[in-house]
Amino acid sequence: MPSSRVRIVVATSVMLTFISYWRAAAIVLNDLGSSAFYAGGIAEQAVGKAAPWFIVAVMLFSFTVRAVYVESCSMFVRGGVYRVVKEALGGTLAKISVSALMFDYILTGPISGVSAGQYIAGLINDIFTTADAHGWIPRAAHVMFNGTPHVPVNWTSVVFALLVTLYFWWQNTKGIQESSEKALRVMQITTVMVVILLAWSAITLVIKGYQPVPWPTPVNLHFNPESLGFLKNHADLPKLFGILGILMAFGHSVLAMSGEESLAQVNRELAHPKLKNLKRAAIIIAIYSFVFTGITALLFVMIIPDSVRIPVYKDNLIAGLAMYLVGPHLLRLAFRAFVVVVGFLILSGAVNTAIIGSNGVLNRVSEDGVLTDWFRHPHRRYGTSHRIINLVVLLQVFTILASHGDVYMLGEAYAFGVIWSFTFNGLAMLVLRFKYKGERGWKVPPNLYIAGYEIPIGLVSVFLVLLSTAIINLLTKSVATVAGVSFAAVFFLIFSVSERVNRRKFALAEQQMQEHFQLLQRDTVEREALSIRPGNVLVPVRDYNTLHHLKWVLERIDTREQDVVVMTARISQFGAAAYDLSMEQIFSDYEQQLFTRTVSIAESFGKHISLLVVPARDVWSAIAQTANNLESSAVVTGLSSKMTSEEQAFAIGRAWEAMPDPKRQFVLQIVHPDGKVDTFHIGPHTPSMKTEDIHLVHRLWLNITRERGLDKVHHNDILTEALTRFARDYAGRDRDEILKELRKTSRHTVTTRPIGGDGGRPESDANPSEPTGPSDENKQEPPAARPQ
Amino acid sequence: MNVLIVVGIRTLETMFVAGGIGSFLVLILTGIEDIETLLGSDDPSRKRW
Repeated sequence: MPSSRVRIVVATSVMLTFISYWRAAAIVLNDLGSSAFYAGGIAEQAVGKAAPWFIVAVMLFSFTVRAVYVESCSMFVRGGVYRVVKEALGGTLAKISVSALMFDYILTGPISGVSAGQYIAGLINDIFTTADAHGWIPRAAHVMFNGTPHVPVNWTSVVFALLVTLYFWWQNTKGIQESSEKALRVMQITTVMVVILLAWSAITLVIKGYQPVPWPTPVNLHFNPESLGFLKNHADLPKLFGILGILMAFGHSVLAMSGEESLAQVNRELAHPKLKNLKRAAIIIAIYSFVFTGITALLFVMIIPDSVRIPVYKDNLIAGLAMYLVGPHLLRLAFRAFVVVVGFLILSGAVNTAIIGSNGVLNRVSEDGVLTDWFRHPHRRYGTSHRIINLVVLLQVFTILASHGDVYMLGEAYAFGVIWSFTFNGLAMLVLRFKYKGERGWKVPPNLYIAGYEIPIGLVSVFLVLLSTAIINLLTKSVATVAGVSFAAVFFLIFSVSERVNRRKFALAEQQMQEHFQLLQRDTVEREALSIRPGNVLVPVRDYNTLHHLKWVLERIDTREQDVVVMTARISQFGAAAYDLSMEQIFSDYEQQLFTRTVSIAESFGKHISLLVVPARDVWSAIAQTANNLESSAVVTGLSSKMTSEEQAFAIGRAWEAMPDPKRQFVLQIVHPDGKVDTFHIGPHTPSMKTEDIHLVHRLWLNITRERGLDKVHHNDILTEALTRFARDYAGRDRDEILKELRKTSRHTVTTRPIGGDGGRPESDANPSEPTGPSDENKQEPPAARPQ
Repeated sequence: MNVLIVVGIRTLETMFVAGGIGSFLVLILTGIEDIETLLGSDDPSRKRW
């Protein structure tokens, strides 16, 4: 007897738009490269003038940490970061590990925002000083500021960091998409700055000579009471033991490789061949960050005089370097302004990455059952996990205010999160070397085999360095240790209580889900495996209060002849897409309610529907890829609360364009709450023609066929010739003229015929199985709709 | 000085030095692989998502 339960197919592989290794490297470098703006200053304040050697050592060591991440990415494991670490280390250590990771992610925002503020405030003050030297500052301003006008650097940084954080809070609440294109552009601009900086520095070194950087020996290390932390009463220890001092200095410089963990997050999005591209991205990242962070750290000491390097430029050393290059003052000031612009772009991007990453990790932790699904409740209007975003931003705002704009203090705290996050990952990988017997594409070398037993020498070595550094940091970073341990303890408590609450709730939810639904797990979405016929209608749903488009479809479709697939996307944002979904990752109350409501609507129509859950990085890719894989003839969706139907169609069109071949065209119908329907064709299709254009073609055809030897010409021959000439002109000198004309035409079209107008045909009557073409001549089409 | 502290410090130092030597090996070996990866060509077959 067939089961009465409704089948829910849960796809577990995250649907992604694949990116090249260059783009992947750009995303990671946006985080990793941003440390170059503050790591050098923090390290020198902590250990003295020999600090750049330790930054170089850390950057070399980051090559090996990268290897550990490559191994972790080459394993095929399911679940969120919590589930994976739990498998290796058990529940308690997994919760501590996630707490450290959260501390790392959350601190990324404040340190980046405050550091960007330091660069901006420093530039403003230097511009005032330069203007004053030229006599451009009015006397009244002098009186007001008791001298040269200036802004308070630390508080300006605080205000700036707060503004950037609040801006990205709102953007994330609205649900902006992280774009690899944007990351690539930022890295291109950064590369221009790095190349100029290195070349100009080389010229400076040749012309002006350099200050030697003291060798990294215990005698050259100068720890201040702050950088000795709990060891401040034993200031002689570093020199007494020697290697201990080097370890302490290494620990104070470890911040330079913060951001390496992002490599695991971009792995899943890499195009084929995945492992090779991951390695390539990792090589680019390691070399780039070594040159940018490592070499510039050496240049700071070699070029900027001791008298100003720490006293004046400690928090904006790249700006200081720009000011001590050879050349006219105004040119150097202009380059400094460029450095500040680049710093603003890359550091602000890191603030955004911090919010997105924290949100992503907490979402997956919630799916793993360690955070109650109250946190995952979608925003009423934008559908984002606003409670998690609010929590993250609240913690960041608190951190920014508590820091008073002190980059050193923030850096020390941040280093705590970074090193413990790396250490737990290293430990998990080490344990999984023995416990995990599944697919593994690559291993950190070297590995010895004795009597059939594998001894992972490389992995053990990297872990030993990480662990010894993490332990020494506990002792030497007192503020960071107190802050980090308190933070981790609070999160540990929240996770523990949530897990207990969830365990009970999950048992009940699982029972309810099993009563009403039959859960089936599939790796990927394939039509045959889901027993769905081609030409089906795909209906994406998100909010159980706005299912009018599903009703619209069910009113018009005979499900005995055409399947209706209701799809909901589980968005795994950046920072959470490191692993595929696991079946044990629980459905939230909200999702259960969404499925229940969907099924009850279908039952009220007496029609059968198929339910599908797909994990994805963004909803548009999920829709385009699912429609393609299911061979859907139509996708029917509701109108977004934050986009127009044209924008929605554009986003799906763009996702369709980004998909690899083979691709199938489909019709997209967007149902407004008032029942109005907009129809778009996704993929190349025959464009609808205006009546006057048809007449024009016909008139041309009449005239041409009167010419000798051309009596057999067809209408389409004329169009082919016209389009070929058009393409030639567009590729040639007439491009600008053509674009100008098209702009004029499209403006004219929009103003005279409103988008979504009836065009003489009531589209709301359209049947999704026999969709109307874009009958409106004025209808905007997504990019995929334009013939290439 | 407390013997326990000395033992603790020496253990940390040993971990750091041993780990550092091993990490240097990792750096060399992965460096060789990196060069091969950068010079190698892609598999022409393309996989669907």
